[in-house]
Amino acid sequence: MSSDFFPVCGEEILNVRDLSVNRSGSQILRDISLSITCGEFVGIVGPNGGGKSTLVLTILGILKPKTGLVTIYDKTPLTKDIIGKVGWVPQTASELPTNVQITVREFIQLGTISSRSIFGISRKEREAVDKIITVVGLEDCANKRITKLSGGQRQRAAIGKALASEADLILMDEPMVGVDRESRNSIMRLLDDLCHEQNKTIVMISHDLASIKQTVHRMIYLEETIRYDGPTSEFPELSSLAKLRGIVATHDSQEQNAWSEDEQESGIIIMVPGKEGEK
Amino acid sequence: MEFLGPIIFEIFVPILEFIAEPVSGFKPIPGQYFPYYFTIEYFQRPLIASIVVAIVAGLLGTFLLIRNLALIGDGLAHVSFGGIAVGLVLGGISPLWYALIFSILSAIAIDQMQTRKLITGDASIAIFLTGMLGLGLVVLRIWGGGVTATVEGYLWGSLQMIDTGSFDIIVTSCVIAYVVIIALYRILLAIAIDPIAARVQGLPVRYVGLLFSIITATVVVSMVQIVGVLLVTALLVTPAATAQLIGKSFRSCVILSQIIGVIMVILGLYFSAEYDTGSGSMIAFIAALGFMFVALAKYAIGFVVKPKENLE
Repeated sequence: MSSDFFPVCGEEILNVRDLSVNRSGSQILRDISLSITCGEFVGIVGPNGGGKSTLVLTILGILKPKTGLVTIYDKTPLTKDIIGKVGWVPQTASELPTNVQITVREFIQLGTISSRSIFGISRKEREAVDKIITVVGLEDCANKRITKLSGGQRQRAAIGKALASEADLILMDEPMVGVDRESRNSIMRLLDDLCHEQNKTIVMISHDLASIKQTVHRMIYLEETIRYDGPTSEFPELSSLAKLRGIVATHDSQEQNAWSEDEQESGIIIMVPGKEGEK
Repeated sequence: MEFLGPIIFEIFVPILEFIAEPVSGFKPIPGQYFPYYFTIEYFQRPLIASIVVAIVAGLLGTFLLIRNLALIGDGLAHVSFGGIAVGLVLGGISPLWYALIFSILSAIAIDQMQTRKLITGDASIAIFLTGMLGLGLVVLRIWGGGVTATVEGYLWGSLQMIDTGSFDIIVTSCVIAYVVIIALYRILLAIAIDPIAARVQGLPVRYVGLLFSIITATVVVSMVQIVGVLLVTALLVTPAATAQLIGKSFRSCVILSQIIGVIMVILGLYFSAEYDTGSGSMIAFIAALGFMFVALAKYAIGFVVKPKENLE
């Protein structure tokens, strides 16, 4: 059965149809439909409370939709056939427990556990983990404790853990929080390579539009529903985002500040569509 | 009916007797009374039980710490006191069996209240802790003749109460708990690190959480006679916390925690035998001293070895 699932470039991996999700009574997402094919690198942006995390948690199968359907390789999330095909990278820099003295190698090895092999780690898995440690560029600190790493290194470790599960589809929630700009760029390059060379499909939530805009192939702007879905190069500039949101004059100032702070922090001004090449 | 008690006893006794007198005429165990723990059967049993309990508590404690459940041991110990009180009044079988049932049921209830988000954080532990302690005291006051010497033995720990029956319960539940935790080692770690990722990986997060609660309850009950209801946390948390100070990886923390637990128990038993104090209180005190010593040593070494880092 599992041999049917080798990723083929261009094959549809994720399909979301007419999805609506409620969380504690209020509607967070409505009428979401999207299709993602193998090898795509997709960025999901949008304001706080716009439903980015909700969408990703629903795709993972952690949250149940009110209406609509999520399928991964035409199967329901979290069912037997696709377990191990989906990986999850949390906001690691801020979310890793600080009270666990766990080394990078031990941490990445956790990704190899599946429901079939919970008891031990085979030699093959050990070697695979060693390879992944090199891929994410942590060979110098493989035996260091996670708590001693920088934000960027921790993020690499978290990506390594998702890779260790051999997932085809990797979902990431704000992975660049707490990561400095230099590491950010090199992590984005690493992810881009994973898409191109290993045919991984990556869906990344980001608050920081500027830093992902240069790398992701496709951008989704989410605020309750999808307001933009298309190539990154045609993604509208910041001033027209308000139009996308359909509320030009009334959007709250706090939200606006949050966006502009990100821009200042990353030091990159969002460019007019089509001018990326000049940077 | 006996389970693993006699087997473990047969394994340990030759080792203890060898340590007591490795070469004929040479007796390395210090103290006036402490050597009895190695040579007289009546004392050997408590020593073996203490060592076994320290090993399991060290292993379990490491996982409790990473799951931020340091106080669940305390809660379940108080719950088991309620069970012991009911057991003392009803009689028939060993009160430890009642404690085991009370403790396991409460552990499941606490786990469910937390996973179903009925109430948040430690509140569910607090409710069971006080409620069951209250129940125990009420039951004893009305039907059991108040807080007798036997009851006090359970409160503070009393090695004299470890007979063949309770030795068997303690050792058997510890061995089962140890095997289960080792089998779930990686999965428990994965869940503690990131529960969502664990679910995405297809791990049975709910069932493992439930099983872990039951195992914790079992280990806590097995510790009650040795360190007492009120001091269970000392053996469950302190060695694991000490190991966290010096461990360089999770595996080393797990191993160190067990070694430190055994050292603390042996030191505690030595001092309690020589100065005629309760075993539980001395073990708890020694364990805390050990933690402080390691913490201060770590600070001192850090101060001497890495002064350059501090300059920045």
